[in-house]
Amino acid sequence: MTGAQWPTEGPNKDQVKEMYMSLKTTLLATAIALAATAQAARAEDSFKIGSALGLTGYAATGDRNWRDGLQLAADALNAKGGILGRKVEIIVEDNRSQPQDAVVAYRKMLSSDQVNAFDSGCVSAGNMAAASFVARAQVPMLLCSILPQKPEEQAWAFSFLPPPTFEIDARYGYLRDRTQIRKVGLLIDPTPYSQLMKGFATRLAPQYGLEIVAEETYKPDDSDVNVQLGRMNAAGAGAVVKLGQGGSTVTVAKNIRQLGLDKMVLMASTDDGGIFKSASEVLGDRFYFIGSAVQFGDAGPSEKAANADKSNGAAKAAIDAFLTPWVAKYGDRDTGQASRAYDSVMLLAKAATAANSVAGPAIKDAIERVGAYNGAGAVYDFSDKQHVGITKNPYFVGQFVNGRPTVSK
Amino acid sequence: MPDLIQLAQALVNGVGVGLVYGLVGIGFCVIYNASGIVNFAQGVFVMLGGMLAHTLLTRAGLPMPVAAVLATVIVAAIGVAIQLLVVSPMWQRGTSMFAIILATLAVQIMIERITILSLGDQPRTYDNFTPGGPLRLGPITIDYQLFWVLGGGALMVAALWLFFTRTRIGRALRACSQNAEAAALLGIPVGRMLLLSFALSAALGSAAGILITPTQYTAYSIDGPFGVNGFIAAIIGGFGSAPGALAGGILLGAAQAVAVVLFGAGYRNVAALVIMLLVLLLFPSGVFNATRSKA
Repeated sequence: MTGAQWPTEGPNKDQVKEMYMSLKTTLLATAIALAATAQAARAEDSFKIGSALGLTGYAATGDRNWRDGLQLAADALNAKGGILGRKVEIIVEDNRSQPQDAVVAYRKMLSSDQVNAFDSGCVSAGNMAAASFVARAQVPMLLCSILPQKPEEQAWAFSFLPPPTFEIDARYGYLRDRTQIRKVGLLIDPTPYSQLMKGFATRLAPQYGLEIVAEETYKPDDSDVNVQLGRMNAAGAGAVVKLGQGGSTVTVAKNIRQLGLDKMVLMASTDDGGIFKSASEVLGDRFYFIGSAVQFGDAGPSEKAANADKSNGAAKAAIDAFLTPWVAKYGDRDTGQASRAYDSVMLLAKAATAANSVAGPAIKDAIERVGAYNGAGAVYDFSDKQHVGITKNPYFVGQFVNGRPTVSK
Repeated sequence: MPDLIQLAQALVNGVGVGLVYGLVGIGFCVIYNASGIVNFAQGVFVMLGGMLAHTLLTRAGLPMPVAAVLATVIVAAIGVAIQLLVVSPMWQRGTSMFAIILATLAVQIMIERITILSLGDQPRTYDNFTPGGPLRLGPITIDYQLFWVLGGGALMVAALWLFFTRTRIGRALRACSQNAEAAALLGIPVGRMLLLSFALSAALGSAAGILITPTQYTAYSIDGPFGVNGFIAAIIGGFGSAPGALAGGILLGAAQAVAVVLFGAGYRNVAALVIMLLVLLLFPSGVFNATRSKA
């Protein structure tokens, strides 16, 4: 039988090994190339915004609102084609309201997700802890919190939080103009934001004709602050100005009532409307809070917009643009932080579009050149020298009347 | 020199919070005695008690007594579910005690997350059981709810004492704590006793949560502080001793209150940890066990 002859001399062992290694190398290289291409394609497809948020821990209530505000803005942008044709993707990492967890979250989003920008929540210590390496990576940080401390870190950070002094101005102004209270006690938590406010609160008091008669500290998870309130009362304080967020505001309200301090009023820091409502149910008209226009009124977007500034059509339009989908999706959930989160993404989109680039340095420069921007939560005016965007005090002092947040007259 | 009125006022409030720590501590002891397991999900029961009572009050519109009883029953059922679904399978496979204890920690985190998703992240509270107040004794004020905490706590401790000393099931549970193998040889169903211990422990935690919520707030995150302080209370009392845990809790609450008056709010937890370290160093079997053995 004749037929095809198999070669009598096949490749030797070394040749087989060499061929196998060559094939393996080729396959590996192909796999790496495919993976890199896929990753590049993914990166090309989306504009990634990383967000380190305290979804659990003391900042959870506010930071969850921040997250939902970011997503609402991303959805609105994606409905119109995204940013520069790229789909906006919000990448969220829970920092458990702890700085050390925030650092891990930031590093993961930088190295694994390769985000285009950060837009993070209100855990100021966490944002500060990550600021140095984020700045070195030249990725802009848009923040719910105060700015980091070093100038080289501040250059890459943009704060969407009203400056702490505005909180103090609003409350002190109200005490001076609308009450007879002239002696106040400060109740301060250990977060950097509260410590910063403490400095302003101490310095500004004399300008408003107020005297700080007691400065007491507490921890956000303390089960009571009776001792601190007792000291304030003994010192003659007529109002407790609380510098700090979270459920502790409810505890303070409860303790004021438990101690029978029938004339003492509580003025809370900026926070979530749900917390304000709970505290208000305890203290009634002795509980005051501060909020921006978007948080007041209850009849619907238009009424809230009207609270902002009737002469400012742009502000009204911005509030309507945010509130209509927000109310449709989340009902009467608080809008204070969510509105600023929404604004931050919209401003980021505007900057990236103006820069026609998704590169960090280009976006940073563009944010500094956007100029006055009418948002739902406030008006923002960033520049190369001004990285705290809110320069006009957006706060009103409010109370709950018939279960509704109302600007206190 | 601290203001004595402030000190007295702080002690009054500290005893109230301490009693809740004590009840949580007893919850630790009940499970530990029946099984040797330290259930790190104990603080979760306190949180669930307050959260569920609030939900039943506000969403279902139930009156407080019904809401409280129902919340306690639900939390006890959750305790049973933890035992059946997590502890029991590991126990039967002979998993190390260390792994079971870690599993209870995982359960705590899981229940926290489920609570956020199902009941929300907002802090909440409800009114004192008795409206009005506070009671004024000269410069000292006592919130009416404190009487409910003290009375409820005393009632639960008395009921537990009767249960453990006067009922067959209670004695069987104590037998398990003395020697589980011997108890099994005597025909005591050790597995069921373990189930009962989880139910009892969860119910205690829930009742503590329901009682304390009107004095502060409740939220998914309060389980941590109550769990830790309840654990310290149990250590002070000698882990496993229910009366010791109760006394340990009251001592801890009072010590924290005094620390705040003398040194400031930042020293509340420092005081708790210093006491725990001292007890571990000087009285490894607990302050009250040591006192009793010396006597």
